[in-house]
Amino acid sequence: MSDALAAVEHAAPSQTAASRVGGRILRSPLLLVGLVGTTLIVAAAIFAPLLAPADPTAQDLANILAPPVWAGGTVDNVLGTDVLGRDVASRLLYGARNSLFVAFSAMLLGSSLGLITGLLAGFFGGRVDSILMRLGDVQLAFPFILLAIAILGVVASRPAWLLIAVLGIPGWIVYARVVRSRVLAEKEKDYVAAATALGAGPWRRLFRYVFPSVWQVVPVIALLDVGFLIIMESTLSFLGLGLAPPAATWGGILADGRRNMVVSQWLPILPGLAILVTVLSINLVGDGLAAVFDSRNVGGGFRRLRPKAPAAPSSEPGAGSLLAVRDLRVEFPTSGGRVKAVRGIDFELAPGETLGVVGESGSGKSVTAAAVIQLLEPPGRITEGAVFYDGEDLARTSDRRMASLRGQEIAMIFQNPAVSLNPVLTIGFQLREAIRHVTKASRRTARDTAREVLMAVGIEDPDRISRQYPFQLSGGMNQRVMIAMVLAARPRLLLADEPTTALDTTTQAQILDRLVKLTEAENISLVLITHDIALVSEYADRMLVLYAGEVCEYGPVREIISRPRHPYTRALLESVPRVEDPADRLQVIAGDLPDPSEDRVGCPFADRCPLVMEVCREAAPPRYKVGPVHTAACYLWAPERAEAVAT
Amino acid sequence: MRGRVLLIRLGQMVLVVLAVVTIAFLVLRFATGDPARLVNPPGTPEDIIAQTRERIGTDKPVFVQYGEYLYNAVQGDLGTSFRGAQPVASAVLTALPNTLALAGITIVASAGLAIVLGAVAAWRPGSIFDRAVLVWVALAQATPAFWLAVLLVLVFALNLRWFPAIDMNGWRSFVLPVTTLVVTLSPVLIRTARQSFIETLREDYIKAARARGLPSWRVFAVHGVKAASLPLVTLIGLQLGFLLAGAVVVEVIFNWPGIGKLILDSLASRDFPMIQGGILVAAVVFVVLNFVVDMLYAVLDPRVGAARA
Amino acid sequence: MTRPLLEVRHLSKEFPLKKSGLGRRRGGVVRAVEDVSFDLYPGETLGLVGESGSGKSTLGRTVLFLVEPTSGDVVFDGEPVTTDNTASLRRRAQIVFQDPYASLPPKMRVRRILAEPLLIHDIVPASKVEDRVRSLLRDVGLSEEHSGSFPHQLSGGQRQRVSIARALAVEPSLVVADEAVSALDVSVQAQILNLMKDLQTARGLAYLFISHDLGVVRYMSQRIAVLYLGRIVEVGPAADITSEPLHPYTSALLAAVPKVASERTVVRIDSGTPLSTLVETGCEFRLRCPMAQKICEEERPGLVEWAPGHQSACHFALEVPQRLRTSLPVAGGGS
Repeated sequence: MSDALAAVEHAAPSQTAASRVGGRILRSPLLLVGLVGTTLIVAAAIFAPLLAPADPTAQDLANILAPPVWAGGTVDNVLGTDVLGRDVASRLLYGARNSLFVAFSAMLLGSSLGLITGLLAGFFGGRVDSILMRLGDVQLAFPFILLAIAILGVVASRPAWLLIAVLGIPGWIVYARVVRSRVLAEKEKDYVAAATALGAGPWRRLFRYVFPSVWQVVPVIALLDVGFLIIMESTLSFLGLGLAPPAATWGGILADGRRNMVVSQWLPILPGLAILVTVLSINLVGDGLAAVFDSRNVGGGFRRLRPKAPAAPSSEPGAGSLLAVRDLRVEFPTSGGRVKAVRGIDFELAPGETLGVVGESGSGKSVTAAAVIQLLEPPGRITEGAVFYDGEDLARTSDRRMASLRGQEIAMIFQNPAVSLNPVLTIGFQLREAIRHVTKASRRTARDTAREVLMAVGIEDPDRISRQYPFQLSGGMNQRVMIAMVLAARPRLLLADEPTTALDTTTQAQILDRLVKLTEAENISLVLITHDIALVSEYADRMLVLYAGEVCEYGPVREIISRPRHPYTRALLESVPRVEDPADRLQVIAGDLPDPSEDRVGCPFADRCPLVMEVCREAAPPRYKVGPVHTAACYLWAPERAEAVAT
Repeated sequence: MRGRVLLIRLGQMVLVVLAVVTIAFLVLRFATGDPARLVNPPGTPEDIIAQTRERIGTDKPVFVQYGEYLYNAVQGDLGTSFRGAQPVASAVLTALPNTLALAGITIVASAGLAIVLGAVAAWRPGSIFDRAVLVWVALAQATPAFWLAVLLVLVFALNLRWFPAIDMNGWRSFVLPVTTLVVTLSPVLIRTARQSFIETLREDYIKAARARGLPSWRVFAVHGVKAASLPLVTLIGLQLGFLLAGAVVVEVIFNWPGIGKLILDSLASRDFPMIQGGILVAAVVFVVLNFVVDMLYAVLDPRVGAARA
Repeated sequence: MTRPLLEVRHLSKEFPLKKSGLGRRRGGVVRAVEDVSFDLYPGETLGLVGESGSGKSTLGRTVLFLVEPTSGDVVFDGEPVTTDNTASLRRRAQIVFQDPYASLPPKMRVRRILAEPLLIHDIVPASKVEDRVRSLLRDVGLSEEHSGSFPHQLSGGQRQRVSIARALAVEPSLVVADEAVSALDVSVQAQILNLMKDLQTARGLAYLFISHDLGVVRYMSQRIAVLYLGRIVEVGPAADITSEPLHPYTSALLAAVPKVASERTVVRIDSGTPLSTLVETGCEFRLRCPMAQKICEEERPGLVEWAPGHQSACHFALEVPQRLRTSLPVAGGGS
């Protein structure tokens, strides 16, 4: 799905980052609730002396354990009184003040310590790093809260600073670890190396380059940390280890309440509610902000969204072809708009034929493959069109039917072999699993078949390879294993999505030679998806050239290579430097890809085309027939013009 | 090679325990003044205090005390309680299984809950169920353990009388304390499990497994769960401290005869050998559990296993 | 005879061995670059070509002292470069990286990115910085409106233009291009390659042009050096290397390149870097070489000049054109 992602990535610049973030905040009700709640609580804590109806320490022994107003109490003590007759509402307000003060101060202490140590340890590494991190290990290896309890339990007095130190200091390690790992990742990036090459010294690199990219993690952790610290502070107060009485603390009120809960059930409930609401608000803000800055968590899961509309009655399965794609349209709803990744693609594939699909990023070539095998990542979906496999429309068939076709009849190989195999399962396990799923063979037969297919893809010691994990093998080896899996299933259709892009040239040649030989021998129809038009020219029978989700040209490889009819195809052929045919100067296609989320009128290539005409911007060009089985979507080939331009 | 790694690891564990014991020893000796005065009521005559000092051994220089303590501890003698003549080791060892039972059930229940809820939420991110899980996580995370414990007692013990309010006595007495701990421990686990499942399900190898036609449940259970539970294992290791802190509170509220309550009671009575012994045993349990978690990780992730070997 | 701008002599770089590394293992280190020597003249482009694990990127970084060499010498414009003496190198040698997403600081606007080198080296007075940034943008074909953008708001091609502008800011005489166009779409790749050629002509730049793509290297370079497992196995004029290679590895690389409108090529060679195999003596390539003989096991061939300016590290260099033109069996086996 790299293609779709590239398309989404491409869509991003059309909106400014700020307005996107702002929009997401407004669209996230939980974050809004959290923001409002937090603001109110912080305000209540700050203005407690003004808001509190009574002195929180003023005792009234004549009026103890009064119930709240809704349980029969008076308006003077809205939330009732405690065992010493003190006003609970006022004590809760002052409790907020104390709790938030301690928690915020502890958080500031811990986060500052952690940020500084994390930055230094990560950036300078070496001995500083190992000492700091060992120290952190020791701390993480033991619950310092126990030690904190011990310290607070035995000291003679417990001033606020001691509480803050005891709660705050242990937190440094959480910040330090996260900051350090971010710094480690960031400082290896090329922009830091580029700064070194420019002559920027270490401090400049740390503070001007690395720091701006890493500090954002701190506020997110800090918010969650504050919530945690409020609970810890209350816990200590509850155990009688917090701020010394008569200071009002939520934990202290609750402890009082617990002793008197048989008489006054509201007394333990109220402070708990205060803590709950406070921590919840703060956490909602933390979660919400994390989600706003990290938009990865949209979609995903195992759903398969089928098109809402029935297939157009005009579309037909194409007699004699194994695969017939008709007016395929795929959309990905994103926060930046609907990315229309595929905008009406048609092609056919005969049994045993190899079709090369060529296009750049954002052309929709990978999305097309995912749509054929019905593995589009939700919320991406086919909106229109049909995918006929052997006369059956895959876009509208049942999930069960689709699952039974996958692997058995339709197989797929992905771009990056290293991540196409499960890293925690052995090669043999995955191979046997695939074989048994398809053939329902016994364990023993599956083992033999596995050995056979591994040998068939040129692996000489299949037993050793079977016991290995994917990370122990080279990319070429993993891709051979993937091909072996396909071979074992003997599918009728194989989709290969940039199967060799991640591999070295010599490996690529070997793998493709082998793959094509096997598909020829087994009469498997192959869809070879690639950005490299030369690869298609070497291995495919027919070729489909895609640009920005639309078909430019479609026809026999030899014909297109020798006489490209679409200016984009021609540009693709002429803009790649060739070893065998070195040019003095490359032809250049000016400009960039069109925005994939925008609706367009006219030809998608119009803005970059050297031969653009007025009509190109007015209406999308139909696909003109330029040979017996060769079409080009370009007005140059309109019947009235064709004769004039024919070469 | 493997043996050497194991030895280094064991050495680290010993060092951690030693560090914790040393810090605890120093804090208890220096932050508090003379223990002999603390255990006696104010105004006790000096000669009695001197006697007490001799009895509990604080008349010797600190490093001698420290050395003796370590020497005895290695042989299994953790000293004698200030109050009464009970050996600390036996008191601690009586309390330990009670805490371990509580913690063990909690970890298993929380991890199970996290995997199930996390998986179901990740099956369809953004669905009603996913949202419900997230709201539950946010609520549970904001709930203080001690308050929940008090509420549970109020509702289920005092009002409904379904479960006992205090003491460890039969399976019923486990229900309320374990519920409290699971509610406080599980949210962070659920959240991590959900995230991990979402990310795992997005991996290319999951897509590749589906492209091979494996049924969804199999892709999920065989290819997804193992990889997705790795972060959970790490997290459980990191959460043990949090769990122990929660256990202290829960043990106090439910009058549970475990390590946490032992330490807290000893704090109130300034029973230093007991506090020290409790912390020592907690530290040992802790490093051992962390070690188990690490081993588990190496078993689950062949990449780590291979790097170790 | 002009003096070389860059002289590299017996340069080696070892990395301590981590859990899995590419390259040869020996005594707990990976030798990414081993005993590499070459000259680069002002205004010239030397192409460095090799597959993953060949050490080509490490070599580019080591030459610029972004990675400290383990041994060997780098002389820049007649002045030996050491860890403590990189000033002239930093001022006059720059680098353009592969990944346009990672090579620009994500939180800086383009304006600031281009001003950094000017400020670090005090190249122009502060009042003139803005003018200079504007002219740099113009030189690489970007417009002034881009100066307020953050990198993530630009397309891949635009980002690579910014990278080039940043390198040009110090008015260098040498630019190392480390797979500078590999991450770009072909239509954008051509734009950048032509831009780099034009800038070379206009400013007399020398390029050390690193790429895995023989076509691109051929297009850009006057001379090409082929790296295999950290060593240069062949170096010579670009046209000779691609039409008449004198090393079987170069020959295999050429054969593997997919070609437009041609029949399937004949000689294909066993692929991949032998990870587990230690070659202590003899030729590193012999395990994959269709021409290997007894002597290849015993004696490591040195770089020898077989034709004017054309060196190859093969005992049978002169036989390569004939032998590998005829069809040879494809070596089988795992990678």
